Order: sequence, then C-alpha cells, then structure tokens
Amino acid sequence: MRVIPQLDAYPRLVSVVQTPIGKISAICAFAFLLLLNGEALYLELAAIVAILSFFPKYRRPLISAATLYWLLIHPNWIRQGLIRRVASDEGVGPGWGLVLGAAVVMCVVFGGLGVLLHVVRARPGHFAGRRPVLVLVGSFLVLLAVAGTLQLHGWPRIALWMLLALSGPYLWFFAYALGDYASKAPDPYRIQFGTFFPFWVGSGDSSTPIGKGAAYLRKVEAHSAKDLAVVQLKAVKLLMWLFVLHLLLLVFRAVVFGDLPPAATEFLRTHDFRLLHLGVPKLETAFDQTAAGHAPPLHLLWASVVAHFLEAILAVPLMGNMVVACSRMAGFNLLRNTYKPLYATTIADFWNRFYFYFKELLVEFFFFPTYVRYFKKHRRLRLAAATFAAATLGNMVYHFCRDIHYVFELGFWGALTGFQVYAFYAMVLGASIAISQLRGKRAPESLPFHRRVMASVGVIGFYCLLEIFNFEGRSHSLRTHLAFFGNLLPLAR
Amino acid sequence: MNERLAIREYLQNLLRQTGDRNGFADNDSLLMSGRLDSVDTLDLVVFLEEKYGIDFAARGFDKNDLDSLDGIMALIGATPPGVSL
Repeated sequence: MRVIPQLDAYPRLVSVVQTPIGKISAICAFAFLLLLNGEALYLELAAIVAILSFFPKYRRPLISAATLYWLLIHPNWIRQGLIRRVASDEGVGPGWGLVLGAAVVMCVVFGGLGVLLHVVRARPGHFAGRRPVLVLVGSFLVLLAVAGTLQLHGWPRIALWMLLALSGPYLWFFAYALGDYASKAPDPYRIQFGTFFPFWVGSGDSSTPIGKGAAYLRKVEAHSAKDLAVVQLKAVKLLMWLFVLHLLLLVFRAVVFGDLPPAATEFLRTHDFRLLHLGVPKLETAFDQTAAGHAPPLHLLWASVVAHFLEAILAVPLMGNMVVACSRMAGFNLLRNTYKPLYATTIADFWNRFYFYFKELLVEFFFFPTYVRYFKKHRRLRLAAATFAAATLGNMVYHFCRDIHYVFELGFWGALTGFQVYAFYAMVLGASIAISQLRGKRAPESLPFHRRVMASVGVIGFYCLLEIFNFEGRSHSLRTHLAFFGNLLPLAR
Repeated sequence: MNERLAIREYLQNLLRQTGDRNGFADNDSLLMSGRLDSVDTLDLVVFLEEKYGIDFAARGFDKNDLDSLDGIMALIGATPPGVSL
C-alpha cells in the first residue's frame, strides 16, 4: 500500500496538467503544499514556477533572471553577519558604503569566474585550464589563510573578508560551471549564472549544489509538455510525502524530547494540559552534561544517541527534498537528495542514499580526479585512495571552506586545530566506506530477508555511533568526544 | 564482435547487477538518470581503460562522455585502441 498516490502514473491527470487550467491547479497545489511544509516564501516560489510553466521555451534564461532576483532580494546564503562584524571591528557601520562595497566585490567575484571560464575554454593546455577547480579551491584556501593569519586593518581587511564571505558559498557551484566549460558544448555564461544558487537552492538551508550544474540540468530537463506535466506531478507527490515526514518529525520530537512548536506549547499552557514524553535529552545536552562531569544515566545516554540519529533521518530529507521538489516544478527531473536510507545494506550504500548531492560533489571533484590519475595498476589501492580523497579530504575541505567564521573568530591555525573532531569523523568515514566498497558492490538481492535486516541494522548502528563525531563546531576537543563515546560502554563508566 | 554490441552487452550486464532488466536506447542516459551509480561508473572506467586504452587522466574525465552508449562510442572513436592520449 502506498501512502502517497502515484500521481504521475495517471495518464488523465498528466493530460490535464498540460492544459492552462491544469497548470494553474498544479501550481496552486505546489504553493499550498509549500505552505504546509513551512516554506515562508511559497508565493514567490509559486510565481516563478508559474512563469516557467507557461514559458518553458525560455526556461533557462528565466531561471537566470530568477537567480538574480533571489540574489538581490533573498541572499540568505551570504554571511552578511560576518561582513557586518568585520566592518564593525574596523569602525565601519552598516550602511550604503558597505552595501556598495559588497556590490563591487560581488562583481569582482563573478568577473573573476568569467576570466577562469575563459581560460578553461581558450587555454586548455594551461595549468589553470587543466585543473581549474584545484586553482579555484586552492586560491580560496590561500586567501582564507591570509585573512586568518595576517594582521590587516581598515578597508583592506573588510574587502578581503567580503571577498571570502561572498565567494565562499559559490565555490562548488563555480566548480560545476568550470567542469561544464571544459566539455564540448557548454552553456554560455548568462545561462550558467542561473545555476549559481538557483532559486530552488536559495530558498532552502543547504549550501550544497542540489541539482549540480548546467551539464546535469541539461540532462534532466523536461523537453515536452508531457515531460513537464509528469515532473511537476512528481514534485507535488514529493511535497505530499514531505508533509507526512513533517508530521512524523513533529510527533517524534514531541514524544521523545518533549519539543513542541510555540503555538502548541501555548495551547497546552492555556488549557493546562501536560505533554507526556520520554524525556530523552538532546545529544548536545547529553554531551555538555557529560563534558561537565554529570553524565546522564546509561540508558538515557544511549537513547539520546539513537534519537539524534532518527531525528536526522527524518529532518535531512525534508531539507534536501524540498529543494528537489522546487527544481522539479521548474522542469528538472532531479533525483531525490535522500532516498530510503534505512534500506541501505552497506556503509557505502547508506552514504549514497542519505545526502546524494553532497556525495556527488565529492565524487565529482575528489573521487574521480584521484581515481583516473593515481595507482592505476593497483585496483584495490586505487579505489581506497580515491575514496579517502572524497570522503575524508574532500569532506574536510568542503566544511572548512564553508565555515569561514571560525577562521575569523579563532584565526587560521585555531580554526584548523579545532577541526580535529570533524577530521576524525571524516577519517573514520573514509576508511569505513573504503572497506565497504572493497568488500563488494552491494548486498546480493538473493540474501535472505533476515540477513538483509541484519545488514541494515549493522549499517544504522555504525552511523548512529559515528554521529557522535559529526561535529563541525570548535568548542570541544576530540578527547571530550572520545570520553563521551567511552561513557556509552557500561564498563568504562 | 561488433564494438557497439560488445559495449551494449557490457552495459546491460552492469544494469542487470543493479536489478534493472529494462532495455535502453543508444542515446538513453544511464549515469545521470541514476540507472547506473558511481560504483558502476568505476567499472566502466576500468573496462574502457583496459579494453580501449583510454587514459582519462590525460584526456580529462567527463561523466557526460560515459552517460550513454552513443557517448561511449564517440569516446572510443576519438581514442584509437591502445593509444594513450
């Protein structure tokens, strides 16, 4: 039995959605479901989708225009707080001067990308033409090191941090564009621009290029009225599923943690009701209590670890798949970002299913470049090295470049040494995925049901425990995390 | 055996291993559509390296080239067998 009807499999419905009334109905359903899923900008998203639905011939230029609109009106991905803090440190208050400075730096960022794209196309033999992503990410890291180590003052300091804060979120979007420019028939810059935080990514909380770049979008774009109707019905269906997940997450948080939305809390208070819940502490709370020497009882400690993992299993699909639903409404048949992670029977399979577009980013820019270059005569070593390059090195580079505010707060070396917990997490993850891949591609379909269940439970247990080290902050050392892990073992307490 | 046929058979075998027994046209997307995953791509890379001497490090690696049977045939056509570019 299916929870959500297969809307895209009903031929009559597909025909109706190709008509003007059908299109409007689908867009209204999309807007309503966005609202139910808590998307505050549902009207703007629906308006953009409506324009795209009625003018599919101009889809790509219209998406570039929508991307520009989102950049000017809702640039949520830009660390404006960081820019204001640096400016305030240097005695420059928020105002038109700062906005103008940011606009100039933004033009420099997009202009600089234009130059790099030109080099890729016109001088493919040049080092920057052959390894443009290495040049791009390497330059960013060098600038970050300069900003975090040199004692700059005044406008040079503001300009440098502005450059980092404005270019940082675009790093991997630009990387996809550079990859496309190296191909035989890339999209022109004005069309590539639409893939730099397209409105569907900009409306979400993720900085991962969900939908990758122009090359992938060309492959999954709907080219006929029927394709568009099918992909839009898939978007509506996905949003319906996300609403069910939203409800499940709400119930889960209420029953396990006693967390309720403000309106529900107010309702209970007004009517003098009490919410019965399991009283499991959040992992962060359990962690802080343990670090302070007041570890919760063993059963609650375990419950907090398991609950943290289950909460992530419900919450991560909401974040990524909302973005996928919006891109589908725009006419791109993107694969889901999270797809049945609990069905995974190997560690590598889970990683593929849990956050698909992040994994794809690492595969594209770290795995394959290593795989096709090194240890070609040693098959197993080749696979292990490429997996490490992606799941460990790439994973660390991505997060270090993303969280530049730590460099501002702690200096470059402070941010780097404080990264030890995540580095440990990435090392264990890389090693485990490498072993998982070396052991075999996937669990055979012929495995008996109970063996498949056992395999899934093993994978879930592994990721459950690994989550203890999936910590991107800099406030606790690896020793503290290992001590918390030790507290989970009855004999070590 | 005809090269196109040999590669088609190889791709069909890869698909079968994923439980996908549907057919595919010469220009159908196999990687980008998700029918074949990253691990399958690795097998395909090794197959093309070993059988046709393609050096992806030298010519640049682009997943798009491997996305369809037509793409792979174009890739092989651009790289003479046994020659590392």
